[in-house]
Amino acid sequence: MESNQGISWLNDTETILRFIQRLVSELDELKDHLLVLKENEVLFSQGEPLEDVYLLLEGQVVLTRTQADDSEITLTTLNPGSFVGLIAFTTGEPTLTTAKITQQGLALKMKPQQFEQYLSDHPRLKHPLQQLMLNNMIQRYKSNIRLQTKTHLLNKELGKERDDLKKAYKRLEETHQQLIHQEKMATLGELVAGFAHEVNNPASALMRSAENLIEIYSTFEESDSTYKLFKLGLQSEPLDSAELRKQMLKIEKQFPWVHERASVRKLAQMPDNALEVIKDQRKKLDIESLTNHFEAGRMIHNIRIASNRIANLVKSLKSYSRQDQNKEEFIDIREGIKDTVLVLSNRLKYVNLNLHLNDIPKTCVQVGDLNQVWTNILVNACDALNDSGEITISTKHSDDQILIEITDNGPGIPEDIIHRIFEANFTTKNQGAKFGLGLGLPISNEIIRRSGGTIEAKNLDEGGASFRISLPVKSDC
Amino acid sequence: MDEKIYILIVEDELEVMDALIKDLEKFEEYFPVESANNANEAREVIDYILDHGHKVGLILCDHVLPGQNGVDLLIDLQQIPEAAKSKKVLVTGQAGHEDTILAINKADLDHYIAKPWTKEQLAEVVVSELTDYVIANEKNLLPFMQILDSGKLSDAMRKNQLTDH
Repeated sequence: MESNQGISWLNDTETILRFIQRLVSELDELKDHLLVLKENEVLFSQGEPLEDVYLLLEGQVVLTRTQADDSEITLTTLNPGSFVGLIAFTTGEPTLTTAKITQQGLALKMKPQQFEQYLSDHPRLKHPLQQLMLNNMIQRYKSNIRLQTKTHLLNKELGKERDDLKKAYKRLEETHQQLIHQEKMATLGELVAGFAHEVNNPASALMRSAENLIEIYSTFEESDSTYKLFKLGLQSEPLDSAELRKQMLKIEKQFPWVHERASVRKLAQMPDNALEVIKDQRKKLDIESLTNHFEAGRMIHNIRIASNRIANLVKSLKSYSRQDQNKEEFIDIREGIKDTVLVLSNRLKYVNLNLHLNDIPKTCVQVGDLNQVWTNILVNACDALNDSGEITISTKHSDDQILIEITDNGPGIPEDIIHRIFEANFTTKNQGAKFGLGLGLPISNEIIRRSGGTIEAKNLDEGGASFRISLPVKSDC
Repeated sequence: MDEKIYILIVEDELEVMDALIKDLEKFEEYFPVESANNANEAREVIDYILDHGHKVGLILCDHVLPGQNGVDLLIDLQQIPEAAKSKKVLVTGQAGHEDTILAINKADLDHYIAKPWTKEQLAEVVVSELTDYVIANEKNLLPFMQILDSGKLSDAMRKNQLTDH
């Protein structure tokens, strides 16, 4: 019963307050401690040692706190029945807050030692005061819990906002990289177009001159040994140096009368039917003028081969660096792979390249973009192989997916970074990146993702890395 | 003259090799030309030439080769005392500055010819390098007067006579 009453007391500040006010009016010594509160006055300031504690009987006091950055926050508004300076009073430490009167009123002002005195001198006052104090503490504790909860929720919200911001920033970064990349590719495309034009002119001149020379020779009689030798020269394939050495030894035996090394080499490059012509004719003409006609044919053959190579390279370069980057085409992806291989031939010539380009259906893709993907992976593989080893490109398909696999037999991708290589901004290359931005794989990932496909990398048990790209088969654009 | 001084061309593209050999034709009377398509073959050819008591006066080497590249080959050759004496010229459309600097510093690279070359330019480099080679390595310079830099050779001969006395 008593304890129940105690609890109800705790909940009823007004009753306690009324009781205390009555006591104040009855006890003269208490009256002396009444303090009139004037609006806007400060009871005490933050950081000061507290000499008195105040029990607010009427009016209103606001507790504020000045923060490290000089900003002021309002902590709580105290109403009648509240103790002001209670924490500092009970702990004896400097005040944590500033107490400002916001509404005039009355307070009981007590020194700590007096407080003890009242409690022992006035048993009737002791209990309500203790209750009131406890009540105050409970209120503060409650509001503390509410605040804690609120802070927690706010932190959570803040955390979410921060994550959202992070994501937005990442997307922005990606877009930025993408833009740089696109800009770079557009510039490259323009350069290539100009370059192709410039190179195609001399290449055409070479090809045409070669054909015209052939025509001039064709005015000789078919039976003419000169023309025969020329034509055989035109059909000849150059020998590699080992083969050439072998042939030269043979010639030295077959043509003992030929002493000049240059002539021996020229004869060594001739097929048997040309050597027959030489043997037949050597009484009529000297060896040098005979071999010269064969040589002329060979030179023109070389011009044809070389100018064709230039023309093909230019063609590949042009189709590789398509200017209309954002245009989708219904195309066989293998064409892009072949262009890429040819454009990278300079780099790939150090490695053994195996192409297993099995038939795959045409699909709708941005070929120029995809070529970037092949380029990035192939250049990375060449780097990993340190330009000696094996790279295999294979294609296959299921009903609705095209699978392109590029593997190398290098050291593989370090396990500690393999899960990060497709992340935006992730690069293992430093400023000296020889190709692109050193952001090849993140950009490749983005390109494949946009095409509705997937790209993944793994290390093979037998060593080396494998990139698997799967793209959806689309029946049209 | 039993002992021969060879010119070695290292080049993997056969048409390019053909063109180089053709441009060096006039030297062959004095300096037989040998060829190799890659670094390993180049080493074999050099070994063969040296084993038969001949010399390699000049190596014209492409940079981009299958297997070991030209610069690394030239650096390696510096380890062989006899091959270290050969004059070394990089003929390439490829090597970047770093490779070239490496070759100059480490392989004692004597010259650098960028592709495409001209016949005159090539001949000039070959004459100049081989002249330096024979002055440094041959006692009798007289046989080379006709094909190499006669002015430089006669200067060298005069100096030799002075030191001989």
